[in-house]
Amino acid sequence: MRYIYKHEMKQYWKTLLLWSVCVGGMGMACILLYSSMREEMAGMAESFAAMGAFSAAFGMDQLSIATLKGFYATEVGTIHELGGAMFAAVVSMNILSKEEDGHTSEFLFSLPIARGKVVWIKWCVVCTNLLLFHLLCGGLYGLGFVLLGEGIPGKELLLYHAMQLLLGLELAGICFAVSAFSRQNRLGLGLGMVLLFYAYDLVSRVDPKLEKFSVISPFAYANASRILGTGEIAAKGVLLGAGVLVLALGTAYVKYTGKDQM
Amino acid sequence: MDSEKTVIEISHMTKNYGKHRGVTDLSLTVEQGKVFGFLGPNGAGKSTTIRAMLGFIRFDSGRIRLLQKDIRSHREEILAQVGYMPSEAMFYPTMKVKDVIRLAAQVRGVDCAQEARMLCERLQVDTEKKIRELSLGNRKKVSIVCAMQHRPRLFIFDEPTSGLDPLMQTTFFELIREYVNQGATCMLSTHVLPEVKRCCDHVAILKEGHLQCVETVAALTKARAKRIKWVRDGRQEEFLYDRDLNELYRELEGHDITELLIEEPSLEEAFIEYYRA
Repeated sequence: MRYIYKHEMKQYWKTLLLWSVCVGGMGMACILLYSSMREEMAGMAESFAAMGAFSAAFGMDQLSIATLKGFYATEVGTIHELGGAMFAAVVSMNILSKEEDGHTSEFLFSLPIARGKVVWIKWCVVCTNLLLFHLLCGGLYGLGFVLLGEGIPGKELLLYHAMQLLLGLELAGICFAVSAFSRQNRLGLGLGMVLLFYAYDLVSRVDPKLEKFSVISPFAYANASRILGTGEIAAKGVLLGAGVLVLALGTAYVKYTGKDQM
Repeated sequence: MDSEKTVIEISHMTKNYGKHRGVTDLSLTVEQGKVFGFLGPNGAGKSTTIRAMLGFIRFDSGRIRLLQKDIRSHREEILAQVGYMPSEAMFYPTMKVKDVIRLAAQVRGVDCAQEARMLCERLQVDTEKKIRELSLGNRKKVSIVCAMQHRPRLFIFDEPTSGLDPLMQTTFFELIREYVNQGATCMLSTHVLPEVKRCCDHVAILKEGHLQCVETVAALTKARAKRIKWVRDGRQEEFLYDRDLNELYRELEGHDITELLIEEPSLEEAFIEYYRA
């Protein structure tokens, strides 16, 4: 099993490096920008907080953009959550379907390894890539804080990134399940789903009628402004997210082990 | 038939693809140490049968046993003893040949380095190239190495020589014969009838999802019509004749026969007759 795991990790290492450096690098650049923008932000903070729906959509009504936490939540949070979610789709959407799409299933499944084990190995690869992505990005953000000479708001940041990891796992789980059903590259579908969830989260924070349905989007429980502002997590959303993840993995396992490999 | 020597046993296997026909009520057995040919026109069900044998697809009814074990419940154990070469021979494009061969060996948990080296030498495989740089024929050679390096008890080859040059085809059949002489069994799905004639002991012909016959190669050509070539009344004629030869002799009475040749039909003719029947 470990050889298949190593083989799959080798297939994704360039993608992992590219996305981590791009997303983490952009986040780090934003953090470093804070010192030069601090004074301007202080002047604009009240205006940003009073922009009604726009403020609510980006959490600027909960945290002042003039503070490092608020700046992080608004700027780095947006880059990281969208970049991280898209990376989750990239590493999971085709990981099962690529064997049939690339006609390598006859090679892989003629080896003495159960299909169920292949499913779990590939899911472990997805989890490893997501974890490494968040660690690498977190490392770059931490470096940004150190270079900035500011203290890291440790507990809230850790909580936020843990929720971001769960967000990534849930989205990856859904994409993984779709990959189990598919025989072709469906990356566009995965990225589209991520953007749909992101857009729904923005709208649900703005429209009061959708507020109680905001849990539908996994971005809701991983919202940077709320977590960094209150230090709390949305338990209902987290439980729902975990439930969706378990259901998606179960579906992927049952489907992939039962279907004809063409 | 001694069941201990039965390596492949398919009993009343049926696989449907909804509207499209698959395979219906197929039964055949292959004994140890034989080279078994599997013939049929495109879409006959040969690949469906092979995929069902290896557990790639689920069949609707019947039973398949390889190496005296049921494929549904002992798939991993069976595949450890099977070497399979698919017709497409596709691998991961960014991998090097040596890494693909090594991965296959590692997953099997067998040290195949020596055997792999010998096979790569005889088949002239460049192990440093990446898969995406290889032609179909060279990918086929990699597939042969992956199928043979662990010295399995059962080989299943699907269109093995398409894309191989004549020298490599000869090497391939030499390798099959060597492994079979050491006790292995081989199933060969192919359209290339000279290959069947060259190395197969028995042949099964599949058509439209149904098994037409299982015969030895010799019986396949003998059982069918004779090829008649004659010059009758100054006219040269050639045809296949499947009735009693005594009737033919009676038909020749009163005619001027200067040449008469009665031959066994070629395997191609026997095969085409099954295809057309």
